Amino acid sequence: MTARGDRRLAWVLLAPALSVLAVVTVYPIVRVIALSLERRVPIFGIADFVGLANYAFLARDGAFWGAMRVTALFTVVSVAAELVLGVAAAVALRAQRRGVAISLSLLLLPWCLPGVVTGRIFEWIYHPSAGLMNRLVAVVVASAQPNWLGDPRLALPAVIAADVWRTTPFIALLVYARLVGVPAAVYEAAAVDGAGRGATFWRITLPLLRPVLLVALLFRTLDAVRAFDLMFILTGGGPAGVTETLTLYAYRSLFQTLQLGFGSASAVVVGALVVALAWGHLAATGERDAV
Amino acid sequence: MTARRAWIVVVLAALAVAGCAERRADEVRLVFRHSRMPGERDPLPALLRDFERRHPGIVVAHEPLPWTADVQHQFYVINLEGRSAGFDVLMLDVIWTAEFARAGWLLDVTDRWPAAERGEHFPSMVEAATLGDRLWAVPWVMNVGLLYFRADLLGRQGLAPPTSYAALAEQAAAVMRAAGEPRLAGFLWQGKQYEGLVVNVLEAMWGEGTDLVGRDGRLLPEPARAAAALARRRALLTRGISPPLVTAADEELTRREFGAGRGVFLRNWPYARALFEAGGSPVAGRVGVAALPGGGALGGAHLAIHAGTRHPDAAWALVRHLASPDAQRAIADAVGLHPTRPALVDDAALRAIFAGARPRPVTPWYQTLSATLQPELSAAILGLKPAGQALADAERRLAYFLRP
Repeated sequence: MTARGDRRLAWVLLAPALSVLAVVTVYPIVRVIALSLERRVPIFGIADFVGLANYAFLARDGAFWGAMRVTALFTVVSVAAELVLGVAAAVALRAQRRGVAISLSLLLLPWCLPGVVTGRIFEWIYHPSAGLMNRLVAVVVASAQPNWLGDPRLALPAVIAADVWRTTPFIALLVYARLVGVPAAVYEAAAVDGAGRGATFWRITLPLLRPVLLVALLFRTLDAVRAFDLMFILTGGGPAGVTETLTLYAYRSLFQTLQLGFGSASAVVVGALVVALAWGHLAATGERDAV
Repeated sequence: MTARRAWIVVVLAALAVAGCAERRADEVRLVFRHSRMPGERDPLPALLRDFERRHPGIVVAHEPLPWTADVQHQFYVINLEGRSAGFDVLMLDVIWTAEFARAGWLLDVTDRWPAAERGEHFPSMVEAATLGDRLWAVPWVMNVGLLYFRADLLGRQGLAPPTSYAALAEQAAAVMRAAGEPRLAGFLWQGKQYEGLVVNVLEAMWGEGTDLVGRDGRLLPEPARAAAALARRRALLTRGISPPLVTAADEELTRREFGAGRGVFLRNWPYARALFEAGGSPVAGRVGVAALPGGGALGGAHLAIHAGTRHPDAAWALVRHLASPDAQRAIADAVGLHPTRPALVDDAALRAIFAGARPRPVTPWYQTLSATLQPELSAAILGLKPAGQALADAERRLAYFLRP
């Protein structure tokens, strides 16, 4: 068979996959970009081309920049905490001699719960007068009654804590799977060479975990940038918008107030952000791995 | 799919086809969409059976909506915009009627509904069903914001329920001082960033003699007075009359606080009344109810007809039946949702409060208005922004969203 024939066959074989991609990915992307250039409120029959006006409004909208800041803060803090706690949990699990299966299943429990259930659980934990948190706080300081979800300084940390509780198991599991695959001989050799526990962790465990951690970092970052369910249930983006993420902002315009054009513009920004982050991540790790 | 499962599908399909064939050709089939009735005793099946008995040849299927208001709204929008709604009669939150009417989804009922009968309902319920001098829905069940107060605590100070928010704050402060109990809150209301916050701030504005949307449809006709009303809400928190938990509170959270005896005044809907008087309630027999200064916000539901229905006459007959005095009384007796007719509210004091209810701005853009205001109002009551600036910021965003 000629090279040309090979190439033709390749296209024929690729065609089904490409057409599916075109329908479920390319078409919606093109459509949402086109929509973002319109003022469109379909239920009222409004459809005017406005060019970049929606983007211009986003650029000077305080609420949008607030959502950007909240999303960035939420992403950095929650992903960092999840990575640290996840690695710690996995290392502890690896050192455990008995009841590993029980520990694993308990660890996975938060990850298995639907976001809505997690949200409702934490709603009660943070309840100002009857919640678990304030019962515990009262043991330490009798008069203090922090208003976890109503105080603008506490609301975002409270939501982040709920997210960390929920997603740490994901990281822990990935890391644990990698640790199980490390031959015991590696650690024996380190011990023979006189490496302490700290040196073993920093010089051996962590470098071995690097590929897994980079993948986990990418997954978790992209998830966190699109965070929605916990703040939707716990705070509705409040108080004063301090827990309003970009997706919540887009949801408000797209689904709550049905401004399809303006909402699409904010959705395009979220999409562009996710693509940029993924590319940046791949470029950075690819380069280093080549060295 | 296994062969066995495929067989089940085939049999089910055959049964469905057979079922359709059995139906009489002249039979009218209506579908009624509504939210679930609270409590155990759903009065709807009996009401619909009764309707079918009186209208031979009409069969009514009723299907409940999803649980939360947000999701219900989305369900309606998706199905109604698709033109094949699959229902004929729908239950609407009073704040959606103008929006759905403007979208062309509702049948104009002005000419079907005799003018004399409209007067049987509380005027605010009819006002909320009106857009452009036409009527788009019929009042079904009613809700109104109420001022609950601890009659025992007020009585001890020789105080009568307040008629202004300024007096309310002073009375609350006096009772708190006298009680000397640090966990007793003066005034509990809903300050979480959600629809309820807009309701509470609207009532505050009405108490100040101004409104969010003027009679001419202009947003914030008196910005200074609106800002003063909002600033007064902030002051309730800084003066310690309202506890910090208010800034994350919804109806249930404040209802539980007040119900546990930890509040002097509470703003809430009528449903809380029965819970305060229930057996074992620490506040049973000690709670009074009064009108909110400036009037309480209107809640509740309308019944409307889908514009695309194939059976407008049958649908109208169903709406009239469900909104009839007998049906409204049956619903009130079974699940405690209040009738929209003064003649059916037996308690004279409650009737007067209901008569003073005021609709939230009756505009097709209410969802946008409310969603845009929520974070700004929240910022104002938390003191992150001066009240005037918060309102101005909301106004600026709305100018973009609502531009003609």
